[in-house]
Amino acid sequence: MNILVVDDEGIVLESCNRVLKPEGFSVRLATSAEEALAVIDREPPALLIIDVKMPVHDGLYIMKELNRKQQRVPVILMSGFSTKETIEESYKMGARMFLAKPFTPDELLGAVRRVIEEASDGKEKSSGH
Amino acid sequence: MRIQAIHSTRFKLIVNFLVVCFLVGGTSLFIGGHLLYNAVVREAESQVKLALSATRDVYNTQVRYVNVALNITSLGSGFRTAFFEHDIADLRTRLERLKQHAGLDFVGVVTATGQPLCRTGPNAVPETTEPALSVDNTIARYVTSHKEAVAGTVVLPRSFLHIENPDLAERIQFYSTGTEGRDMACLAIAAAIPVFENTPSGEIAGALYGGIVLNQSTDLVDMARKTFFLDEIQKKIDAPTVTLFFDDVRVATNMTDEKGLRTIGTRAPETVRQDVLTMGKQITTRLPLAGKWHMAAYQPIEDILGRRVGMMGIAVPESTYTGVQKKIFFFFLLATCIGACIAIGMGYLLAYQIMRPVHRLIRASQEVTEGSLAPDIGAISRDPEIAILQKTFQHMIEKMKQRRMESQDKIFQSEKQASVGRLAAGVAHEINNPLTGVLTYTHMLLRRNDLADDIRSDLTVIVESTERVRKIVKGLLDFSRQTRLDPEPTEINRLIEATVKLIENQALIKGVAIHFHPGESLPPLVIDRSQMQSVLLNMIINALDASEPSDTIEIATAMARSAGAPGRNGVEITIADTGCGIPPENLDKLFDPFFSTKEVGKGTGLGLSVSFGIVKEHNGNIRVQSEMGVGSTFFIWLPVETTGQEK
Repeated sequence: MNILVVDDEGIVLESCNRVLKPEGFSVRLATSAEEALAVIDREPPALLIIDVKMPVHDGLYIMKELNRKQQRVPVILMSGFSTKETIEESYKMGARMFLAKPFTPDELLGAVRRVIEEASDGKEKSSGH
Repeated sequence: MRIQAIHSTRFKLIVNFLVVCFLVGGTSLFIGGHLLYNAVVREAESQVKLALSATRDVYNTQVRYVNVALNITSLGSGFRTAFFEHDIADLRTRLERLKQHAGLDFVGVVTATGQPLCRTGPNAVPETTEPALSVDNTIARYVTSHKEAVAGTVVLPRSFLHIENPDLAERIQFYSTGTEGRDMACLAIAAAIPVFENTPSGEIAGALYGGIVLNQSTDLVDMARKTFFLDEIQKKIDAPTVTLFFDDVRVATNMTDEKGLRTIGTRAPETVRQDVLTMGKQITTRLPLAGKWHMAAYQPIEDILGRRVGMMGIAVPESTYTGVQKKIFFFFLLATCIGACIAIGMGYLLAYQIMRPVHRLIRASQEVTEGSLAPDIGAISRDPEIAILQKTFQHMIEKMKQRRMESQDKIFQSEKQASVGRLAAGVAHEINNPLTGVLTYTHMLLRRNDLADDIRSDLTVIVESTERVRKIVKGLLDFSRQTRLDPEPTEINRLIEATVKLIENQALIKGVAIHFHPGESLPPLVIDRSQMQSVLLNMIINALDASEPSDTIEIATAMARSAGAPGRNGVEITIADTGCGIPPENLDKLFDPFFSTKEVGKGTGLGLSVSFGIVKEHNGNIRVQSEMGVGSTFFIWLPVETTGQEK
């Protein structure tokens, strides 16, 4: 399972890597929206974990770009600025889940597993047709 | 604008004063003038009447005088002798003397048959051929036929005068038109005395006659005028005039025309002729004579036979009494003008007195508009109305000062909150990233099985501390969030019930009872449900935290008017606990961000501050009452919206 994590903070990227890799996920890391989009173009991941607030282009920009390119990748948005508005905005943009920083390894894994399950459920349903 | 206001007020005041002044002046001028004019006219009327009766007296005196003069002569023995002896020369001498002494125009003697015996003048001795009574000797014939003396007014024909004295006939020449036919006779004052025989039977033997021709005679009218109007004549003003009319023609008068000639031969106005000669009335009237208005009085003159043969009249020029009227008019005009001057002066003075404090107020208002709250309005006026205005203005300024301070306070408060919020947001964002690392790595470490117990215990402390940091940052974020309200009509009782249900289990565990007493028939409140629920939750948790087992929390709702904004309708939610209470010194810090009395780790000190912010956003307010050891009561007041979404 291929997961791309995007965040301008190295400690967050490394934390995600440390939690997800032992669980058998193939984790790739990107430090900016541009880098992330380039990686997605090369090889679309099965799941995206994106920080909302980043310099130059933010997480919502990546979501817009994906929508524009009609690439349906399930997305978990995360932010240290977890206000009601940010969360609502994230769901509106099509995020499957919002993860408030700081999170524990269990919270991260829980979120990832739930989204993957939901995504595969959706796929099964749509392939069933 | 201010200057215009002053001018307009002053102008209005003065105009009002002037209007009053002219109204009063005009009215008094009109009424007073009218009354005085009437009085003057009445006075003139009575004066004219009086003058007319005086003239009549003068006229009657003249008649008596002629009568007496003839009487005395007829009784003289010399005269009788000359008469009976037909001594014409002697008679003539005596008659001439009588004529001269008595100032008569003609004197004569006739026999009982009317045959002229002797007369004064050029035809003193009548020719024997002269027929008896060939001329109409009216006066002598009266005596010979009535056999008694007579005196009075007579109309003498021109032919009679011609015989008596041709010069007299000349006096009835008129030089104006419209008098044709009236120059055949004249008006005269005459008398005739019978001369009786010396026998006891006293048969009439003849008559002595004589008189004055009134035509063109000036003596009588001038004397009459002098008797009554001496003052006016001496002052050489337009003097009243006395006139004798033969029929309606002026035959003797002192009225003059513009050339200064006596208006002899001119005629009386038709109305006068009608009233006096035809009707026989005495009249007083206002009419134009010789081009000027006069007050005039007329009465008829009757001759010895009782016929109305002429008139006598008095005319007083109006100028003599309109002078009085003019004086009155001038006096009133002067009074009005003085009044107007006083009015203008008073207007200026009053406008100044009234407007000075008002100007001050206007200027003060402008200062206030420009931002000053310490305007100078001058000393308090003695005028009570102005004083009230000034005091009200001062009061208003005081209120404005108070408001400004309050609003400055509010602005300061909200700015403080906003900056704390921005700070919190920034801090939260920056801290959460490294915190993720801390949490992740500690948890990863804890998963290892090869850890010594003491290391595991230390790692647990790290995790717990990090969790605390996480909570604090979460609180900061809640405080900082500047969420827009999403208000919708909400049944407040239901919201409270739902909130109580969330916390009930926790309370039960602690042994605290929560009772809710919903107020009846409360209107729906337009509020943000989730935000208001977090407020309620926060307050109830606070109450619960302050409570010990067996304490109770009483929650109630009721309609109430706002304590902060009087007159506004709203709902008050009371949350009362029987807990430990809040120390008085903490009451005013209660809603400050980061103020907390809870033991470290139990609270962030942001809950009440956030709640306060949310309630304020709803235009409501929070109050608190507390007594140490008895408990605390929080009051949340929320307004009932009367506009918009309620419908």
